[in-house]
Amino acid sequence: MILSRRGTLAAGAAFAAAAGLPGLARAQGKQVVVGTWGGDYGELLRQNIDAPLIAPQGIEVLQDVANADPRKTKMLAERQARRGTLDVSCLSDTDMHMMSQQNTLDTLEMGRLSRSGSIVAGLRKPYAIPHIYSALVLLYNPEKVTTPPKSFADMWDPKYRGRVGFSDILYSTNTFAAAVAGGGSFSDYGPGKNKLMELRSLDAKVYPSNEALAAALKGEEVWMTPMWLARGYMWQKAGIPLRHVVPSEAAYAIVFEAAIPRNSRNKDQAYTYLDAMLKPEAQTAFADRMGYLPTVTDARLPQEIASRISLSEADQNRLRAPDYDYLLRAHSDILDFWNKQFKA
Amino acid sequence: MAALVLPAGLLVSMLLVAPMLLLFRISLNLYSPTEMMVEATSAANYLRAVADPYYRQVLVTTLLVATGSTLLTLILAFPAAYWLARMQSRWKSFATVVVMFPLLVGNVVRAAGWLALLGNGGAINAALLGLGLIAAPLPLLYNTGSVVVGIVAVVLPYMILTLAAVIESIPRQAEEAASNLGARPLTVFRRVVLPLALPGVIAGCVLVFVLCMNTYASAVLLGGPQFKMMAPAVYDQFVRGNNWPFGAALAFILLGITLTLTVVGSAVLGRRYRRGKLEEAA
Repeated sequence: MILSRRGTLAAGAAFAAAAGLPGLARAQGKQVVVGTWGGDYGELLRQNIDAPLIAPQGIEVLQDVANADPRKTKMLAERQARRGTLDVSCLSDTDMHMMSQQNTLDTLEMGRLSRSGSIVAGLRKPYAIPHIYSALVLLYNPEKVTTPPKSFADMWDPKYRGRVGFSDILYSTNTFAAAVAGGGSFSDYGPGKNKLMELRSLDAKVYPSNEALAAALKGEEVWMTPMWLARGYMWQKAGIPLRHVVPSEAAYAIVFEAAIPRNSRNKDQAYTYLDAMLKPEAQTAFADRMGYLPTVTDARLPQEIASRISLSEADQNRLRAPDYDYLLRAHSDILDFWNKQFKA
Repeated sequence: MAALVLPAGLLVSMLLVAPMLLLFRISLNLYSPTEMMVEATSAANYLRAVADPYYRQVLVTTLLVATGSTLLTLILAFPAAYWLARMQSRWKSFATVVVMFPLLVGNVVRAAGWLALLGNGGAINAALLGLGLIAAPLPLLYNTGSVVVGIVAVVLPYMILTLAAVIESIPRQAEEAASNLGARPLTVFRRVVLPLALPGVIAGCVLVFVLCMNTYASAVLLGGPQFKMMAPAVYDQFVRGNNWPFGAALAFILLGITLTLTVVGSAVLGRRYRRGKLEEAA
């Protein structure tokens, strides 16, 4: 078989044309690619933002569904690329801070967001908008844990041997809970190591996902776990017998944010999308279904929902964001300890 | 003729060799919590992986699970492959499709099925509890046994189809001649079928061993958070730890060990097969 020069060039041109087609397709209509979680979060985005608020503006929303870790990895891998694959990226505040430190995000032009004035003051960031937020609480089964716990330290009570469960994916906040129970703080997770090893000897259980942990709570295999208040609300709605307490040691806030990667290809549409995420009607839908609190001042929650997912004024005042810089430095050490010693 | 391999060669170069070279370069860099990756030419990641008892244990677990799963698959697959190869019925094509059927289902979906079967609230425990045979659910999930079961279910069709193709090429008369000379069925299997099927056994074992060494979904979903094999450990470093250099070093260690064992294993068994043939000729 002899390959002629002309034939080779023709084949190469055809290959290049084929490879370029997705780019052409993208350029034809207005699109925005949103990197998001699947499940309820992705579904709520579709129902309350994509369809009612974005589609009428002639913008097609494409969801790039993945968990946070693969999304972060993708953003890091594309960091040097001129044209990225995401226009909007949804991540937790800690992850978003890490991505900002890695220079993957644009500084937002707040003037392009008509809703920026409504953002709760304590949640403003230059590189992301806050979408929803919640707090780390201790969830417990009131039928089994008859004396309501007050603090994370109650997990170490020997009478709950084998009844404390952890979600593997929340290794960082689990370590935080152990750290503050042992005298640590937002900027010092060190004491958490010994405390976790103590809990290990008390037969604490680790489940691979939040869903597996929910099944264990439902089957009363475990009775207590550190978890987001919003998750607790969802699980209660699903019929799992649970109550929550904001632990006396610390009130840890989690904010889910959205940002625009530096190499986004559709920045105008990305700003439109972020603006829509801040609309009161979109925010209340997340509160109703997932139990997360609105991040804008003008979203009104029905009284019944507000009473179940809101924090008391005292707890609200104690609520603090994680020490992002500390977590950035200590993240690898926390994960190593969790994998190699606590779970080993 | 060389031009025939050009398209495939180019594709492999672009999609396999180039990323592997890049990955190897990354494995020589250093990790920094704030900068993620610092350019360097260092063997530190390889030394750390070898020196750390945790990763040594992960490697030992991977080797034991892969070897055990390969042997178990061979034992389970041989009778099925023999039956399939010697089948004369018009249902043979259907039986082959049935063997291949599990390959039509993705690993994750299959593992989800095992979760529904083996979990504390799964079908087996529910049945045993319902019959009053046990008082509390049996821990059938999140252990080495559940991972091996999951892996064997994935790789069994590869072994059966590989063995069946080789057994089919063994003349039936060879077995009949041995039987006529008074050999019992077990002797016929041991002295005639197995030696002649050895090339298939080697090919099947190599294929299955490589798949087992790189198991991800079964290890994560059926092994649970406390069970670690190499592929999930590599993923953890890349995706959860953002430590690409160390993840890349672990990936190359896994690749190196898998390659060495498969090459050495096939060479040893292949030599034995050739020696057997020479003795036969003499």
